[in-house]
Amino acid sequence: MQIRISEEMSMMEKLGILADAAKYDVSCASSGVDRKNNGSGIGNSAAGGICHSFSADGRCISLLKILFTNECIYDCKYCANRRTNDVPRASFTPDEICNLVIEFYRRNYIEGLFLSSGIINSPDYTMELIYQAICKLRNQYLFQGYIHVKCIPGTHPDIVQKLGLVVDRISVNLELPTAQGLSELAPNKHRKTILAPMRQIQQGIQQSKKELVAYRNAPSFVPGGQSTQMIIGATPENDYQIINVAENLYQKFQLKRVYYSAFVNTTEDSLLPALAGGPPLLREHRLYQADWLLRFYGFQAAELLSEEKPNFNILLDPKADWALRHLEKFPVEINRADYHTILRVPGIGTKSAERIVRARKSGALRFEDLKKIGVVLKRALYFITCSGKMMYNTRIEEDYITRNLLTVKERLPFDKDGITYKQLSLFDDVNFQPPEIMTRQLYDGQSVVLGQL
Amino acid sequence: MELYLICEDSLEGIFTGIYEAYVTKRPHDEVHIQVGEEENLRLFAEYRNITPDPAKAVKVARTIGQKFGGEAYMSICRALAAEDNSKGEAIYKMIAGGLSMKNPNDIMGNLADPYVLKVFELDRFSGRETHLLTGFIRFQELENGILYSRIGPKNNVLTFLMPHFADRFPMENFVIHDEKRGLYGLHPQKKKWYVVTEAEGFEFNPADHTYSEDEAIYSELFTMFFHTIAIEDRKNPKLHRNILPLRYREYMVEFK
Repeated sequence: MQIRISEEMSMMEKLGILADAAKYDVSCASSGVDRKNNGSGIGNSAAGGICHSFSADGRCISLLKILFTNECIYDCKYCANRRTNDVPRASFTPDEICNLVIEFYRRNYIEGLFLSSGIINSPDYTMELIYQAICKLRNQYLFQGYIHVKCIPGTHPDIVQKLGLVVDRISVNLELPTAQGLSELAPNKHRKTILAPMRQIQQGIQQSKKELVAYRNAPSFVPGGQSTQMIIGATPENDYQIINVAENLYQKFQLKRVYYSAFVNTTEDSLLPALAGGPPLLREHRLYQADWLLRFYGFQAAELLSEEKPNFNILLDPKADWALRHLEKFPVEINRADYHTILRVPGIGTKSAERIVRARKSGALRFEDLKKIGVVLKRALYFITCSGKMMYNTRIEEDYITRNLLTVKERLPFDKDGITYKQLSLFDDVNFQPPEIMTRQLYDGQSVVLGQL
Repeated sequence: MELYLICEDSLEGIFTGIYEAYVTKRPHDEVHIQVGEEENLRLFAEYRNITPDPAKAVKVARTIGQKFGGEAYMSICRALAAEDNSKGEAIYKMIAGGLSMKNPNDIMGNLADPYVLKVFELDRFSGRETHLLTGFIRFQELENGILYSRIGPKNNVLTFLMPHFADRFPMENFVIHDEKRGLYGLHPQKKKWYVVTEAEGFEFNPADHTYSEDEAIYSELFTMFFHTIAIEDRKNPKLHRNILPLRYREYMVEFK
């Protein structure tokens, strides 16, 4: 493919094209690295991450999220920048990127740079260009803010290694939850070339931590950790397969984050499903809820779903759903139970659980105290006792609690799009499953997913 | 008879008030700290104006630091920055209760206590606004290279914002202007930051300066980036309003 040089294009046009092409990358995190400015140059990094704005879809704008170029030799079916798609193409020069980052950063528009790219010539060639640009930003423009770089599968380990020493976070996109889906929709990408850099980065991070213990000034490798992203709803995997993949990525690859991206059909390829109701936002939301349960609440994927029940309940969040299937573990006594037990109660999150454990040292807590602390009592009241008493005279009975929980309207982060609300009736089945959009045969169970990791 | 101590709305003023409350040696439930003037005076109560005294305030600050620890001290400082008339009373009663605790170090955890809860809420209120503003502040470059920013926060958070930006931009001359309170945070290149007030006669009118040539270019570029990055299929105005309240938007270039 010929590379067109687009010198004559204005900065406005270029940024328009290359930001538009980058917008389907979900990650926006600027967290995980606490770095002070060294007194010269520009920039620092706050461990908690900082959001600088929010776009109209409610996603945070923290980093300047752009592609280096949207030229690409690959032909991934779901991607708007695929070779065979007829879109305007553009490329930045390293100096243009550096200038843009510094001038945006000075005005406090952004927290740093998230650089990704289409592939020109080869993954190695492209990543080498990216490395040169980042080096320029760090060494010549003295930028000390946050940098996140997307690693193209198949990049030579040497390039990943040197890149890791100048950036804060690297991510390699898993793209699709199973290798089969990947080979169908992204014929140029292979599961192996995606997992290899992930493993390399994981080992690099561990090695770097050891060195930092021994030598305080040792260079740190990818201090912000690595993340990845999966497209949800483009291939027929079920939720159980997806959260198993996520769990394995957290446990075996020590990823900081797995992002789920509800599939948005931009290419209208015949291999892709038509989504009548828009992107599957509710499904994405349930997956994120489950992801939080895995990372912060001590849940295992196998506790939430199973082969027999492979998809999340659309009416109840995964935690309430789990609690209803394990009523033998309730009620929990707030003034005695340990932190991890309290954490499993619907309506109590990590913050309120911590506050409860701390506050009860100074005296027994009552229901009104819990409310002030931040517990959502209308959800929690069926599952807890304070000093041996339930809040009201409620029964520990699945149908009864389900009915009551369903009358409390769940706060979803989106409006009616993506979910069809319906009148509750006597005949409602809580184990109701979403209609199967895809009729193609499901892949052969868990073994496929787990075997690869 | 109840005693009301009227304090100035500042760390110094309220800490002096707390010191004076202890000096009276009266039971704590009979003494109250009031910030600013009261519209409805009580008939059977004594009112006393307190003049801020740095020496007394320092003693109170030291006691707080020693008995409750640094974390609690910072919480109290952030609570003092919050815009709320009952903050002085809540902090005073929290301190009084905390000093009689078995383990005063754990004071901020005792959320079942209404005064601690109040201080906790105020701390969270101004702390959250500080954090949001570290992201939402927008600087505009004037022709002489100075970066200028206007804010209009609910709480008095300027002093909490300055260290963050001073560390971030050591080589820049920048000004953060709190319009509501007439405060200016100034940072000269490579020097320490400081705060001046309009009351001290300081004035900085950005209308006297013109913006640099590049300013319009980059604000337009960012505005375009801001609109481009949103995914049409996922637009969600309600969520947008929740996470980026309208009161911040009037100061942000991308909403102009």
